[in-house]
Amino acid sequence: MTPEIGHFALALALAMAIVQSVLPILGAARGNILWMQSAKWSSLGQVFFTSIAFFALLQAFVTSDFTVKNVVENSHSLKPMLFKIAGTWGSHEGSLLLWVLILTVFGAAVSVFGANIPDSLKARTLSVQAWISVGFITFMLFTSNPFDRVFPPPIDGQDLNPLLQDVGLAMHPPLLYIGYVGFSIVFSFAVAALIEGRVDAAWARWVRPWTLAAWLSLTAGIALGSWWAYYELGWGGWWFWDPVENVSFMPWLMGTALLHSAIVTEKRDAFKSWTILLAILTFSLSLLGTFIVRSGLLTSVHAFAVDPERGLYILGLLAVSIGGSLALFAWRAPVMEPGGIFKPISREAGLLINNLLLATATGIVLFGTLYPLFYEALTGGQKLSVGPPFFNAAFIPIMLPLVFVMGIGPFLSWKRADLPGALQRLRFVAVLAVLATLAIWYIVRGGPVLGYLSILLAIWLFVATLKEWTVRIKLFDVPFAESRRRAANLPRSTYGMTLAHAGLAVAMFGFIGSSVWKTEEIVFVKPGSEIEIAGFNVTFEGLERVRGPNYVADQGRLTVIQDGEFVTELFPESRYYPVAESNTTESAIRSTMAGDLYASIARPASEEAGAGGTLTLRILYEPLVNFIWIGSAMLVLGGGLSLSDRRLRVGAPRRGSEKKISNASKVPAE
Amino acid sequence: MIWLFFVLLSLMALSLMVLPLRTKLQPSAVPEDTTPAVLLDQLKEVKRDLERNIISEVEAKAAEQEIKRRILMQARKSSSRSTTTNTGGRVGVILGAVFVPLFAVGYYMTMGSPEIEGLAFADRASERQEAAQIADLSSQLYDRLISDPDGGPSEGWMLLGQTYSRMGRFEDAAAAFKVVSERPEADSGVFSMLAEALIYAEQGVVTPAAEAAIDRAMSINPDNPASVYYKALALSQKGESSRGYELLIARLNTADGFYPWMESLLVEANRIGAEIGKPQLSLADFAPMVNAPGPTTEDVANAQEMSDDDRQAFILSMVARLANRLEEEPGDLDGWMRLGNAYSVLGQTGAAIAAYERAEALTANAGAEDPRTQAIDDALSRLRP
Repeated sequence: MTPEIGHFALALALAMAIVQSVLPILGAARGNILWMQSAKWSSLGQVFFTSIAFFALLQAFVTSDFTVKNVVENSHSLKPMLFKIAGTWGSHEGSLLLWVLILTVFGAAVSVFGANIPDSLKARTLSVQAWISVGFITFMLFTSNPFDRVFPPPIDGQDLNPLLQDVGLAMHPPLLYIGYVGFSIVFSFAVAALIEGRVDAAWARWVRPWTLAAWLSLTAGIALGSWWAYYELGWGGWWFWDPVENVSFMPWLMGTALLHSAIVTEKRDAFKSWTILLAILTFSLSLLGTFIVRSGLLTSVHAFAVDPERGLYILGLLAVSIGGSLALFAWRAPVMEPGGIFKPISREAGLLINNLLLATATGIVLFGTLYPLFYEALTGGQKLSVGPPFFNAAFIPIMLPLVFVMGIGPFLSWKRADLPGALQRLRFVAVLAVLATLAIWYIVRGGPVLGYLSILLAIWLFVATLKEWTVRIKLFDVPFAESRRRAANLPRSTYGMTLAHAGLAVAMFGFIGSSVWKTEEIVFVKPGSEIEIAGFNVTFEGLERVRGPNYVADQGRLTVIQDGEFVTELFPESRYYPVAESNTTESAIRSTMAGDLYASIARPASEEAGAGGTLTLRILYEPLVNFIWIGSAMLVLGGGLSLSDRRLRVGAPRRGSEKKISNASKVPAE
Repeated sequence: MIWLFFVLLSLMALSLMVLPLRTKLQPSAVPEDTTPAVLLDQLKEVKRDLERNIISEVEAKAAEQEIKRRILMQARKSSSRSTTTNTGGRVGVILGAVFVPLFAVGYYMTMGSPEIEGLAFADRASERQEAAQIADLSSQLYDRLISDPDGGPSEGWMLLGQTYSRMGRFEDAAAAFKVVSERPEADSGVFSMLAEALIYAEQGVVTPAAEAAIDRAMSINPDNPASVYYKALALSQKGESSRGYELLIARLNTADGFYPWMESLLVEANRIGAEIGKPQLSLADFAPMVNAPGPTTEDVANAQEMSDDDRQAFILSMVARLANRLEEEPGDLDGWMRLGNAYSVLGQTGAAIAAYERAEALTANAGAEDPRTQAIDDALSRLRP
């Protein structure tokens, strides 16, 4: 019965979304306050009924109700409870339901927390948000219904990929989706502003917390996903320029540009078109990502052509939403009043360069992701892959100048800046960065010039960011107590920026260290075999059969010795899941700040090897890789700090709200 | 029970949607109020920046002037903008609110499956046990058959195949039927079952192996309804839909009464017929007596509202109507059987026997395998003292 209640609740949510997509926006056009405010209740209703649907599906997964087709296809009675729960959003249908749930939560959040947003803008925004709801709920109900039933039910389910049985993954899609879908509300704000023909400082300020919230959860989602690939997939890397990764990275790049562009709109009333366009494009890229991942286009263009129902539906949604919003942009953007002017050397100019470089970088990733798909479609099935060499060659040269500008930008003032003055202040930073790089070169030796250049820029960014902070608190210029007082008085959003910029520098150390100075050995080993890698002496001691809750594993034992001293033992596993009849690799990692020693084992396909047989051992040393996770955490924390800034949350000073109350009392109540 | 939940959810949705009518309308801060506030805040920020020495005195002055100018512009704009709000439109809200449950129910009536109960894995222990038993028995049977030096009796293999089919193990079922199909005694039925298992194993696709089995079944007995059915399916999958359609219609036409298999053939004929633009057919086109006029829905509805006496009289009149019709059309075998049944329910044993005897006389030309012959014999032996 519960699955049917979920199904019915979803139909109610769709009906509410349909009403909400018409009534409030008409109300805004006709100045009808009743219609405008009806959006509040329908948006709350959507969350309520979508939640019922979501929990109904969750219940079916938890109790292994195999009368629900989705549970049959994505779960199994023997699966650990945590992964039964994660199965709810592990499937195509379930993940769409989660997508819609998050979409409606963002809509409701605007109606609950957006007390300071004017009625008309709020009504239009919520109507646009409801259009997206209608699109996705109908997509779900008519092509991918999570509540399709099977009767009589099969005896047991068909499991979920054991690779996906990981805590990191259980949390990954929800976080990624909060980011993806969070940008929907920014999109809705942008479209609403276009319809209203009004983008100003206040608008930018209302939108900013939503952009920040979406951006920081997308950042966390991408970092978690990468962490998962590194620890669980056993591929010995954290980023593969894989299409699924790229489609989450593109909205991140655009979203980052949007975040910065919105600041200019808020402070200087400029970059209005940029901000609106970036808001539209960021969410469009989220939609494109959903389309590419969900349509089956990635597996094979051919497979997509055979069963194109789902893909065509999303493609239609894409065409309508992206095409429609861009057409609206082309029509309405010229109406917006031009904003504040600025000189070529100014904070605005710095942020303009930021926008341009990030947009270009996004274009490169987009090209590299779509090119193989077009190629396969046009050549009638010939596959081609665009791999790391392309991205490294095209993407990195764009990012390095960006990092350079990032160091200077915060020192520039708005409107007209004093570049020589800023460079004067950064003189010591530059000298320090060069010296530190030389010192690193002296210790490490070897490696490409690009690697050292990247290190130089990472140090530059880190030190420049710290320097900017010390300038703000006048460290060493005034008595220490005065500096401390200044530090305490700095707004949280300033600390957010400092932390995030420094976080990027820290993560860069990790990116560079673990890709440029990575060492790898793949060897056949027998018990007693020894391998030398990055100054470690690794001995393969032997193999043992061990049992897990739902798998059996061959566990290898490795002894690691450095400079004649015992360091650690490593136990990489090769697991077999009997229910799913599949194998996974569980790598063993010794993690330190200096770097990770990473080992994984596999049976050679040709050899029938029991205990004592020959195995393939893959052993890697990844210097500084933990800096990536620390840097990512700093980015997320920085975003969070900025979001918690009271000025942003309130949106407008108190005096406004007093006035509002006195105004409200003049309006006759119904 | 489930509809109670739906009513409850619908009511909740409805009341949420009409809530705007109940709440006091308070227009929140309109843009004209908040934009200057944001700008004032920026003005303070410029002062803060100046204190922190991030910008120079001159820059601060310029920034302040610019922000002030913008505040003025904003003020001018807001006076020109009208701030009238109207608060009518209750009808729109009510219509929207009513639409929500109506739409959901309309959608659910076509797409939902309210008849399927939820079934938690933990509550299905007995079913699992049963399935395990069947699996166990079938594997025992398989062991016995495979270890039989004579290859095992054909009935055993057929039973095994049918069991596997019911368990959804179509490939195993096909293997079991295959054993029998290679024996001399294999009849048309064996080949059509083999074909069926092969087709199910391939998710409904007629493979060459399945088609070979169908053709063997057809060559042994061209009237075997199952082989006709699958031959038509094979033809339609090869793009020869009209040939398949004709095959099905021909077989339906040769039926001399109603048989249960006719329904499946008819469904398939209509499916193929829809592809090639043939009109939809009903059972009555092939077995007319099945749809002989009985009580209409109106009659039944009337009967339910009557008192017991009235109902008795009504039923008697219906029976009399049927008896009169049969006097005019004495060749209606099914009609006589219905009449006999009606009399026996009413307790008029003599009349019932007489009606069944009229039916029995008609079975002479119906053939011995007609299931109705048996039914009439059973009824007569029950009614006769």
